[in-house]
This record gives sequence, structure tokens and C-alpha cells, in this order.
Amino acid sequence: MTAQIPVTVLTGFLGAGKTTLLNRILTEQHGRKYAVIVNEFGETGIDNELVVDADEEIFEMNNGCICCTVRGDLIRILSGLMKRRDFDGILIETTGMADPAPVAQTFYVDQEVADRTRLDAIVTVVDAVNLPTHLDEAHEAAEQIAFADVILLNKVDLVDAAGLTNVEDRIRAINPYAGILRSEKCGVALDKVLGLDAFSLERVLEIEPDFLDGDHDHEHDEDITSISLHSETPLDPDLFNLWFGRLLREKGQDILRSKGILNFAGSDERYVIQGVHMLMDGSYLGPWPKDGLRQSKLVFIGRNLDSMALKEGYEACRAA
Amino acid sequence: MMNIETENPLTAVESSGQRLTMEAVPVAALVAGEAVITAWGDGRLRIFRADSALQTIDLHRGAILSMALAADLSVLTGGDDGRFVRTTPEGETETLAELPRKWVDHVATGSNGNIACSVGREVHVREPAGFRQVLEHPSTVGGIAFDRKSKRLAVAHYGGVTIWSREARRWKSSALKWAGSHTRVSWSPDDRFLMTAMQENALHGWRMRDKADLTMSGYPAKVSGLVWTGALPWLATTGADSAILWPFDGARGPMGREPLQLCSVGGGLVTAICTAPGREVILAGFSDGSVVFSEIGADAESFVVRRGQGAAVSAVAVTASGMLFVADEAGRVLWVSLAGRTNQP
Repeated sequence: MTAQIPVTVLTGFLGAGKTTLLNRILTEQHGRKYAVIVNEFGETGIDNELVVDADEEIFEMNNGCICCTVRGDLIRILSGLMKRRDFDGILIETTGMADPAPVAQTFYVDQEVADRTRLDAIVTVVDAVNLPTHLDEAHEAAEQIAFADVILLNKVDLVDAAGLTNVEDRIRAINPYAGILRSEKCGVALDKVLGLDAFSLERVLEIEPDFLDGDHDHEHDEDITSISLHSETPLDPDLFNLWFGRLLREKGQDILRSKGILNFAGSDERYVIQGVHMLMDGSYLGPWPKDGLRQSKLVFIGRNLDSMALKEGYEACRAA
Repeated sequence: MMNIETENPLTAVESSGQRLTMEAVPVAALVAGEAVITAWGDGRLRIFRADSALQTIDLHRGAILSMALAADLSVLTGGDDGRFVRTTPEGETETLAELPRKWVDHVATGSNGNIACSVGREVHVREPAGFRQVLEHPSTVGGIAFDRKSKRLAVAHYGGVTIWSREARRWKSSALKWAGSHTRVSWSPDDRFLMTAMQENALHGWRMRDKADLTMSGYPAKVSGLVWTGALPWLATTGADSAILWPFDGARGPMGREPLQLCSVGGGLVTAICTAPGREVILAGFSDGSVVFSEIGADAESFVVRRGQGAAVSAVAVTASGMLFVADEAGRVLWVSLAGRTNQP
């Protein structure tokens, strides 16, 4: 009955422009009031009434899910903030080197957090000048891009056209599904980063056909990549759940995000899934378009993705 | 669309009481003599008495996060404004500590006048004679509780509980380890057992004599309320579709035994629970807003005090003379006398 408060997570390396974006959100006239959770190593100068200092605490859950870690500090702070009614949304600034997975998983694992708040989007701010160095030197840079729903490519005025193309190619090689917003000094329309509802199953329906599918040369072999699978033959729901469940159990550590729209045999509705590592949401979400193609799509972003094995496993789920 | 009024008519108890709506989220309620003192997310204390008007005290600049009652009936509160405050029964307030940009997450009182509050990973202890000590922990504190004589302080956190014992010169720590995040802590009234609620929909505990572990799992939700009641004693908990009461008599307490399940006629899961001073009864508030009363016993009958109104019950409290306080997440309050009603189903 109580409305869920939207939460936007801002990730990005130190100096990329997270604080600039945060201050723009806090100072522009949009009539909404935000509570801000900042990290202990954050750049100073956040001007807001409701600022909470978070001290990143990563907790393992005793639920047999080996990669299932959550941010204990966020559970505590979010549950404290839910006692107030004087704000409309929450912004979480992570540390520069943060792995976004425990943050995202907190919204799946803690029931109270899941009931009262909803993860609106993970927005990753990257610096067009320094991203190539960050990607080569720290695995966290690729993780932050892999988890992003929106990538704010900042400081584009400081690189030439070739440099910009290179940076965008590298981003798309890791995560072709996130929107890229080019900016100087985080100057983007705020409705492109707020109110996206990117973790809702409805948004999965907007997955674009994978325009980068196929062979094209990457200058760099990225550690994290994506794979997309399609088919027009209906899938057997039991076979699929068996295969997908086992896949997440066995490879969930390597699969960072997964999304899918599935055409299950015997149903006129689209089955939609969205997951972070081993945690997954799934639901039937309305009928297929009347005269459209009933094409199943399944996308993975992760490490060590074995495209042949994934394809074979997926195709074995086709209904007889 | 069904009409809410006809679907959920008021119970006889509800219609005989006061029904109010506050523009705030209820945080906690405790019984102080014949008053029920309630703490709210708008930083206010609201004090309900049978024979006088509602008293409101503006206390914290943000939300009150925790509250405890001292032996002298003064109330200690911690807030997200970083303040640790004492309020006397006369309504006078004193700021005991102020930590800018920190949250005072938990507060506790001991029988001898000791007080404590937690701020992040630290617990600040103060004794009536003036001695003070800051206790450090490996992670943020989930709950604090003094034992009956106020000689030991249990501090729950990630990975277990730290027991601080008052030695001749200072408080000294020892560790009780159990993997996972411990979010509440409570001593049994005889100090033989120490129980915690965990992030993983389970209770954990230790028999203090030999540090034997107890684990109660199978809850469908996280346990947010732990209440000791009765002479046995029972530990009554939230987190399931009925009030779950674990027996703590005998050397083994609940080990290898089944709990009592009471008040199961409510809707959804139990989200708040209380007992009445000196009586073997349980009041359970549910996620649909209903409140159910039951005596404690295997064949006890349940009695619906308040029907569900859609918002989960956040707090219930009842005084010795039977004045009941209920508040739900939407800020709706029921304040009513149960006297003469709960003995006749």
C-alpha cells in the first residue's frame, strides 16, 4: 500500500564526475527532494539537507548462494530512511572502486528493502579521457559498466573523435544494452538518469535487437562481454527453468546481469526475466503483440561466457 | 470494487476506542506505568494516557530510530539527527550526546541506571557514577541489551555478538561467533539464554552456561520483534503467519521442541508483537493491519481486536490496566481499553 521509493545508484571512478552529477540533481529545480547516501571516501561538497554517511559493509548471506553478498550498511540506512516521509527519492553514491553487485543484490535479498524501495537504475559515470586506462588497470571499471543501465560518458570535450569512438566501442563490447549519454561536466537532462525504472520487468521488453551481434573486431579483448540468444521456436518452460536454474547456480558468479523475454509453449503471454548474478525475478507480463513475431531473447553480461555452451543449452530447451 | 466499510467493519473494540491518524511513521511504543510512550519518524514522542489528552513532544530533528525506558521512567531516544536524548516523565528533555552527521541507531538501559547508545560500530556506555567508555566493534551494531543486573552488555553485529562484562576497572569483551548478520539481541529474563534475530529469517542464540548454540529457522520473513512473556518464560516473535512462542524452561530451553503458534487468524505475517504487564497474553499485529489477542496456551482462542485496513501494524503496546495502543505504517492509531473484553471471546 505504501508507494515504493525509487533509488538511483551512482557508480564511477573517483574523478569521473559522480559528485558533479549528484550536485546537479540536488540543486536543479524539479520539485523533488532526495535523501543522499554518500560513501566515506566521497569527494566533499554535497549540499543537501538529508545526507547520510555510509560505511561500506559487505555481508555474505547464509543462504547457500555463494556469490550472494549484500550491503549491510544500506539495509540499515534504507530501513532508517523509511521512517521519514520528507523526501521523494534516494541517491546512493558508491565508492570509486565499488563492485555494484552487492548494492543491486540488496534490493533482491532484503524483503523490507524490496517492499519499501525499488532500484530505479544504476548510473555509471565514466571519464572519456581516463576510461581506457581504468579498464586496463582495474576490473571494477568493467564491472561498473556491466551493471549500468545508463552510462554517462563525461568529459567528451577533452577527447578527439577517434578517442571517443574507441571509448564507446569498449563500453559496447562490455555492455551493449546500456544507454550511453555523452556529456561535458555531466550536462545531461536529468530525466535521462532519473525515473528510469530500469530494474522493472516491463523495461526488459524494450531490449533492442542486438545490433552488435555478429563478428566485428574489438581492439581490446574485454574481460567482461555480453551474449545474446534468440529463437522463434517456442521454449518448453520446464526444460528452460531446469537449464536456467542450473546455469545460475553453476555460473552465477560469472554472470553479472541477465535479461530475457521468453516465448513459452502453451502460453499466449510473454515471460520476462531479469537477474543479478544468482538472483532472479520472473513473471508473465501480458500477451505478445497480435501480429508480431514471438521471438524469445535472452541476454547475458558476464565473464567467461561460453557462447557455444550457452547456445546449445538454450536450444535444448525448445519445445518438441 | 467492494466497499471497505462493509468488507471490514470495525470490531466492537475498535468502535469503542479513539481512532486517530498521524502524519508520520510509527517507530516504537513502550509502556511506562499507565502511559504508552510512542516514538515517531517525524522526531516526536506522542504519549497516550487513559485519562488525559494526547501529549506531543518535539524531540529530534529527523526520525527517532530507537527508544528505551529507564528504571526512573525517563525515556531515552536515538535519532538520525545524531542526538541521544533523555526525556523525563515530566516532559523535560536533556541532550546526552550529539554526533553531527551520525545516526544514533540503538539505545539501551540497565537496571542500575547504566545507559548505552550505538553509533555505527561504536557503543557509548555511561554509568550513573559518571564512568564512560566507548566500545568498538568489527561492524555496524545491530542491537544492544544489558542483562538483568546490568553487569553485561550484549552487542549484536555481523558475525555474532560481543559480550562486554563490567570488570573492576572497565568493560571487557568476549565473543560469541555465528556467521551472518545479527540484527536484534535480547537476554532471557533469567539471563540463561541470549537470543538474536538474523538477516536470514531465523533466530540464533546461545545458552550462556556452555555457549551451546540454538538456531530456529523456517520463518517466512525476517524477525523484527522479540518479546519475553510469562513465568515459563516464553519468547514470542514476529516474522511468521502466527505469533511464534518458544519455551525457555528447563535446562535445554527450546532445543528440540516445537513452538506454540498463536493468533493465527490475522492476515499476512506478524509484524509487531507485545504482551501485557503481569499477564500471560499475546497481542500480534499483522501485515494487513489486523491485531489479534490470545491468552498463552495450547488451546487458547484468538480474538480479533482490530480488522485489517491494508497497512502493516508497526507497533502494539498494552498497559497493566488494559489500555491498548496500535499504530500502522499509514500512521493510523487505535487507542482503546481492552478491560472486560478479552476474557470473553
